[in-house]
Amino acid sequence: MSFIDTDIHERVSYEQLLPYLEQPWRRYITDCHWMQEKHMPYTQPAVAGVDRADARLPDGRPAGSDLGFMQEQLLDSNGHEYGILTGALDPSPSSMHGWYEMATALASAYNDWQIEHWLEKDSRLYGSVHIAAQDPAAAVQEIERVGDHPKMVQILLPIDDILWGDPFYHPIYEAAEKHQLMIGMHHNEPPIYYGKWPRYFIEWHTLIPTSHMNQVTNMIFSGVFEKFPRLKLMMIEGGFTYVPFLMRKMDQQYTDLRHEVPWVKRMPSDTIREHLCFTTQPLEELKKWELMQIIEQMGSDQIISFSTDYPHWDYDSPERALPPRLDEDLKRKLFSENARQFYPKLHKGGRTDG
Amino acid sequence: MDKVVAHTDDLAPGEMMEAEFDGRSVVICRASDGDFHAFTNLCPHQGAPLSKGKLCGAPEPTDEIGTYNYKNEGNILRCPWHGREFNIKDSGRMLANERQKLREYKLSVEELSVADGNIILYK
Ligand code: FES
Repeated sequence: MSFIDTDIHERVSYEQLLPYLEQPWRRYITDCHWMQEKHMPYTQPAVAGVDRADARLPDGRPAGSDLGFMQEQLLDSNGHEYGILTGALDPSPSSMHGWYEMATALASAYNDWQIEHWLEKDSRLYGSVHIAAQDPAAAVQEIERVGDHPKMVQILLPIDDILWGDPFYHPIYEAAEKHQLMIGMHHNEPPIYYGKWPRYFIEWHTLIPTSHMNQVTNMIFSGVFEKFPRLKLMMIEGGFTYVPFLMRKMDQQYTDLRHEVPWVKRMPSDTIREHLCFTTQPLEELKKWELMQIIEQMGSDQIISFSTDYPHWDYDSPERALPPRLDEDLKRKLFSENARQFYPKLHKGGRTDG
Repeated sequence: MDKVVAHTDDLAPGEMMEAEFDGRSVVICRASDGDFHAFTNLCPHQGAPLSKGKLCGAPEPTDEIGTYNYKNEGNILRCPWHGREFNIKDSGRMLANERQKLREYKLSVEELSVADGNIILYK
């Protein structure tokens, strides 16, 4: 069965970015020891930090940093047809508060490095455009610069203190439509308590879907999908079991309170089914009947797409994460067809022609 | 069926290793008291290779919020993926959910010399 993995984390070291940075940006890393400061209060959660312990390279390099090892451990052994890279979020240009110029330079360097070392080295790998979303004009320039690469399929947006429906981001959506890029949303900072940190990591990891709910709700009621009818949104690493609740709640609110948002012309659940897709990981343990019930309540089996989150500690195994004995047709949709439909560039197999 | 899968000298207390038995991968663990325990090298959650995880300790349940009592050094096997904790001295029982256990093998140690002996698994 063919398999399209919608969330794989490749990792860069700051040193590897140097050849792609002009001065003075380069010297801020070499001479001034620039590093993105995260102020993480917690112990790293698992046996090998945020990574699978068996994904660290035998020579000690960090997980996700070597194409050959990733091919062996992930792509070849699972028989991946395609995999979509989403970065290791360090550096994470979009989540830098301040010094937008450096963030913009880093995003460009990252994209060039990603294209050269991953997208053009393995026909199965597709990429995400990194931007400094705090500066939408600079972000649009970067999208113009690399967005037409045949293997760039989406733009990564941060979860931060400006919600995605805000007109602030609309220039980015316009550029996305123009370049056949989808929007990918991946949490990179604690997804709760904007600007603050939950007391325990276990809270953070439990509540990732709540930040996805904030963003989706804000985008839909801000009329983003009316204004950008070709825009699509991949909600990455928040799971999907929250979606039936959100659909029902939003439809109810729309029925009662439509007059506040007259630019919204469809039932929110229809908009979700038409414009959104959800990656599976991190999946709760579900029985088959539980999964089928959730899908039925979503009203579609075409908006869920399997992802592993390799090489992170909360990796989901393509063989073991979903309940056993699913129907073949459903498996085909979850493991490949839905992602293929979602990302138009996958149809072209990375070719620029036709 | 029985088979020698390792030697006592291969492992110090608190260490573990992968071995092969009956065509399957097993993980041989040496607890802090020096005893050996063997389990299927496959996490019951999503099948990660347990031998790539860590033998460590764990904070025991506490009645005081904010209190950590770290115990059982060398006896808790943590999975290399999602980090579930299994107590090798308690038949591989999971700390967070007592109903789940690792699959354990019967094992004996045959003393060959004062220093070293055979670790034998049975089925
Ligand atoms: S595979 Fe071991 S905890 Fe998930």
